[in-house]
Amino acid sequence: MRAATLKARLRTTLVAYAFLAPALVLLAIYTFWPMLFGTYLAFAKYNVIKPPEWVGLDNFRRLAAQAHFWTGLLNSLRYVMVVPVIQITAIAVAVLVNRRLPAIGLFRTAYYIPVVTSFAVVGIMWGWMYNQYGPVNYVLQLLGILDRPISFLNRPSIALYAVMFVTLWKGFGYYMVLYLAGLQSIDPSFEEAAVIDGASRWHVFWKVTLPLLRPVILLCSLLSTISAIKVFEEIFVMTGGGPAGSTYTALYYIYSKAFQDFQYGQAAAASLVVAAVSLIFSIINFKYVRGGQI
Amino acid sequence: MPAAPSSTQQVPSRARPVPSVAGVAVARPEPARQAARRMKAVRRARRGVGTFLVYVLLMAIAITTVYPFFWTVITSFESVGAVFNFPPPVWPQEPTLRHYRTVVETVPLGRYVLNSTIISVSGVLLSVLVATLAGYPLARLKFPGRDLIFGAIIATLILPNEAGLIVNYITTIKLGLLHTSVGQYAAVILPSLASTVGIFLMRQAYLAIPEELLEAARVDGASELRIWWKIMVPLTAPSIAAFGILQFVGFWNSFLWAIIVLTDKSYYPLASGLLDLQGQFATNTRAIASGTVIAMVPILVVFLFGQRYFMRGLEGAVKQ
Repeated sequence: MRAATLKARLRTTLVAYAFLAPALVLLAIYTFWPMLFGTYLAFAKYNVIKPPEWVGLDNFRRLAAQAHFWTGLLNSLRYVMVVPVIQITAIAVAVLVNRRLPAIGLFRTAYYIPVVTSFAVVGIMWGWMYNQYGPVNYVLQLLGILDRPISFLNRPSIALYAVMFVTLWKGFGYYMVLYLAGLQSIDPSFEEAAVIDGASRWHVFWKVTLPLLRPVILLCSLLSTISAIKVFEEIFVMTGGGPAGSTYTALYYIYSKAFQDFQYGQAAAASLVVAAVSLIFSIINFKYVRGGQI
Repeated sequence: MPAAPSSTQQVPSRARPVPSVAGVAVARPEPARQAARRMKAVRRARRGVGTFLVYVLLMAIAITTVYPFFWTVITSFESVGAVFNFPPPVWPQEPTLRHYRTVVETVPLGRYVLNSTIISVSGVLLSVLVATLAGYPLARLKFPGRDLIFGAIIATLILPNEAGLIVNYITTIKLGLLHTSVGQYAAVILPSLASTVGIFLMRQAYLAIPEELLEAARVDGASELRIWWKIMVPLTAPSIAAFGILQFVGFWNSFLWAIIVLTDKSYYPLASGLLDLQGQFATNTRAIASGTVIAMVPILVVFLFGQRYFMRGLEGAVKQ
């Protein structure tokens, strides 16, 4: 009897691992191994041909001496400014489209189209939008905000913010859908009870709806903070780090170190720094959004 | 709002009997009722104005999200004049397909479309297979190491892995994948085949299936593989579809990894080819616009047909 159950358990274990095998092999090669080897590479000199050679903190010392590394890190931190903007926009739009109105599905779709479009396409399109003679300049001059056309992506002081707007434009629809799901999973009786107690609509939103959305807000702000720190594809397609290195972000720096300068060790060291920074931001997110006030 | 006065005359007949004293209707409640009705009308009017404002706002946002696509399409069809006009055109003056011909003749777009199709279709099929398989034991079987494996999978969602790109590049070179055709496609899809999000989503979907079904099948002597294929997969089809569409969008839109890893451009997916095209045709905006439209259309078609599942798939990540 005991032998039989033991045999059955052994068989279950074998079957379970057989089901998991493809995923585990792929994860081991392409996810877990890079984490380990990447950490080692940060302390090594490596050029693919010869085996890596331990150099201690050398890579980090070299990084610290490079202006582009610091610009990149600073810009990645600046980029986190997009997080509250994108989240507030997404929540506001989710509230706006969370009602039964004719053609509301059409609007949801319209807001979602940028989400499913490749950054390759989006980056090229926004290059035109931002052109000195392009539509953005036209609209801003029409509204009297600009009195002279400017080339958004060629101005070091503006380029990063122009790219940030594209991130907002492309990304808010993604979070909107998540917030919409969150709003629809709220039991309407909570809000109704508040209305019966005489609360205004604004009050209900602020005191009832928003606190109930807190788990979704945590998830979304976490996701968007991590992707803000790791911003890369927008930069790669729209500015290539320019003008004059003003739009280097941490990941753009890593990319250029690894795949243009072939300095894998230094790139891995920079990766470790970015990993640490995004971990810190994740912890901050968890602490503030989960625990206390939003 | 204009309907309010006429309704005042109809409502009393349907409403509760008016209190009366000696057959004469008491006038007292009437003004109160009228006031209530008026307030209702005002509220309805206010809601009407509110709805109107909501639509104006919705429209403004929609124009912002859709206009860049619209501009690109117009530019690709326009035959004459400067690319940038004040005001920007709302319709092509003399529509032509010339720029499409230019792009197709100079750039192997057909090849790129083929590459993207091969990469996306095989990527979706294989990653769905990997995730649907891996989710099953994590949800429904008891075996040593399960919590550890599940924990490791969840950890990859949280732990940042910026060095992934560098090490995966080195791995791809060391595996010698870039020497054959199949190898080049494999080089592009392999790193994203095991989707931890997908495994997680599938595990959640399997957890919702009643245990009695599995017990009945096991009593009948069905193997776990059979249970997975005959019970789990059909019952979780909506989740699988949603995940499949998510993956399709991801694979179709990917360009960065392909640009990094592929030395032979003839294996580029469409989005990578598009960026290469932008480099070649830096000044021919209309030709690039045509290429952009060609790159955009397939994913929009897939999205419009699958958007119901797609939205639900994303919502599934929140609702649990």
